[in-house]
Amino acid sequence: MPVVELSHVRKVYDTKVAVDDLSIVIEPGTMFGLLGPNGSGKTSSIRMMIGITVPDSGTVSLFGKPFSRKMLASVGYLPEERGLYKKMNVLEQLVFLGRLHYLSASLATSRAKEWARRLQIAEALGKKTEDLSKGMQQKIQFIAALLHDPELIIMDEPFSGLDPVNAALLMDTLAELRQEGKTILFSTHRMDQVEKMCDNIALIHGGKLVLSGSMAAIKSKYPRNRVHITFEGDDGFLRDRRVEKVRRFGGQAEIVLRSSETPDEDAQALLIEALARGRVTRFEVTQPTLEDIFIEKVRETLPGVPGLSLEAVAEVEAPVEPEGSYLNA
Amino acid sequence: MRNVWIIAQREYMERIRTRGFLITTVMIPLVIAGFAFGSTFLAARANTNLHIAVVSNDPQLAGELRDELERQQAQSSGSTEKTSTPAAMASKPMKITVDGVLPSLKAKQSLEHDLDAGRLDGYLWVSGENARQAYSFTPRRSNMRAVEGALASALEKILLRGQLEQRGVAAGDANRLLEPVTIDEAARPQHQDAEAAELCVSILFFVMYLVIMLYGMNVARSIIEEKTSRIFEVMLATIRPEALMAGKIIGVGAVGLTQVGIWLGMLLVLAASSVAIHLGGDTLHIALTGPQVLFFFVYFILGYLLYSAIAAALGAITNSEQELQQMNMFLVLPLLSCFALLGTLMATPDNTLARVLALVPLFTPLLMYFRVSVGHPAAWEVALSIVLTSATICGIVWVTSRIYRIGVLMYGKRPNFAEIRRWIRYS
Repeated sequence: MPVVELSHVRKVYDTKVAVDDLSIVIEPGTMFGLLGPNGSGKTSSIRMMIGITVPDSGTVSLFGKPFSRKMLASVGYLPEERGLYKKMNVLEQLVFLGRLHYLSASLATSRAKEWARRLQIAEALGKKTEDLSKGMQQKIQFIAALLHDPELIIMDEPFSGLDPVNAALLMDTLAELRQEGKTILFSTHRMDQVEKMCDNIALIHGGKLVLSGSMAAIKSKYPRNRVHITFEGDDGFLRDRRVEKVRRFGGQAEIVLRSSETPDEDAQALLIEALARGRVTRFEVTQPTLEDIFIEKVRETLPGVPGLSLEAVAEVEAPVEPEGSYLNA
Repeated sequence: MRNVWIIAQREYMERIRTRGFLITTVMIPLVIAGFAFGSTFLAARANTNLHIAVVSNDPQLAGELRDELERQQAQSSGSTEKTSTPAAMASKPMKITVDGVLPSLKAKQSLEHDLDAGRLDGYLWVSGENARQAYSFTPRRSNMRAVEGALASALEKILLRGQLEQRGVAAGDANRLLEPVTIDEAARPQHQDAEAAELCVSILFFVMYLVIMLYGMNVARSIIEEKTSRIFEVMLATIRPEALMAGKIIGVGAVGLTQVGIWLGMLLVLAASSVAIHLGGDTLHIALTGPQVLFFFVYFILGYLLYSAIAAALGAITNSEQELQQMNMFLVLPLLSCFALLGTLMATPDNTLARVLALVPLFTPLLMYFRVSVGHPAAWEVALSIVLTSATICGIVWVTSRIYRIGVLMYGKRPNFAEIRRWIRYS
């Protein structure tokens, strides 16, 4: 019985199609990544899952039943637009939000304190919300979404705006919650986070589903034809006929091999060639990264409009590899 | 319902603990008391003496005029009726001095001089023959209408008395004839009820106006705050927007009721103490029957809920305080227009116009309360008015919550009416 099931959901705002014929299934106890560039319809999809907006067509089911507001008691939601009552005392705010989720005041208080300790912000509880730093406010909101021990946790861009230490803390916390059997959905446009954490993903672009399935299944569809190499010396081996594309960063290179039938042999041959010309400190043969797959998929879905697809790709690519450049062999 | 209560509780606690609440609770009565005390004090000081001169060939006129003015003063301070005589304005009897002067050019000059020097409040110049005399009054300031009125009526009586005496009526008889007619008010209970009710409706109007302007706008502001702090998305993912709206209106309203309650308490303490008597406190004692008090609260609460629901709607379609200020005429206009209607309905609280208007929800709180106090509305009319107003409140809250839900999800400019209509239909 899936925890979330969107079936052929469509949502149009005025003239803009935000979500078009989207179907998503999230199984219990899994971590689900909803991916896509900015403006691709992630937030619109999430809002329909929890009844903030209603789809124009298609159906939404939670916990195996058609959506009803009663189910929200077992959903924890962290919206992309963070917001808390600014003038309110932090603990009172958490208790207030907990009580709206049918907790008793005393249970909400003890859970709020426990969570604050776990996220290392116990000292913030007595303060006014507006006196906290942005990162701390975000942690408070994170707690607010989890206080009522929801079965389904939905987080829209949970790590945006956090420093690496706090982002890691929240990622670990989500991983622990998944271990406890909670179902977690989070949206992001950071592919690296998803690759590490998610069991299943859905990739949307322009409101349409581009790719979905389990992380392992998606990756297994793609040959291990990517070579990551760190080397010193002559880079002549990069112009080998087996190499289709190369991305260079200083002493490193990411290679796409031409053959998808015998990538392993080609990779070994390439390594021998590289060793013949210099020293190799790292050599790895892998599947394409999610990001590579995403870029490929977006190009596939929009073959006639290269300008548009390139724009979308640039958004995804830019923060990860600002110095990257393609060399065609 | 549980969530409405939690929301209301939060709004109440957050507001009641602010410094602003403390300040308005203490300051507003202080300002009003200061104003009331100040004006009584000034009025008492202003008209303690009246010094006028009468320029006439008749040397007796000055004395007669003074006697007549003093009689007027005694009469008006004896009754509670408001009259336009200057004597009625002051609580202490004022000293009236009337100088008699024989007409001459020199006299006019010296009178003008006295007038300029402030020794004289005005002079009356009597000219012409006995049969057809002309009176001209030159006041020191231009705003002495009341004195002129008093002089005119005093002169009328003096002339009438003179005429009566000329025709052989004895002086005592003439005085008795000229005695003012007093109407026994106890014989007209309906009239007194209407006056008390008018006062109560006026008080209801002002209390409602104050509370709506303070707290109705607070509801609107609190909704705008939710938008600017962006907490609305968490709230929308947790509770129904209807519950949010209802909770806000109730919570903020409870703060208003608390404040009004504190003020009433202060007033009662004040009324019980001697301070009230000093402030001329007999207007504080309003004879109210039990049902009148009950209906006061029923219609006050209905009125508050109705108008703050409208304020909530205004908050839902605006994005900032400034935009809200531009819209608040939607709150004030209906209130003011039904207050303006009161005047015409005063005399005939049970005619068709009054009966119809009192059932219009926007007018019900004031007009139906007025009819309950003064007129004789049928029980079904009262019941219908309460049902209609309650339904309207629910309707407005429902529509508002839709506007809110859609409105907050679409940022930017204020929606036009076509967009609002579309939002309401949209689910």
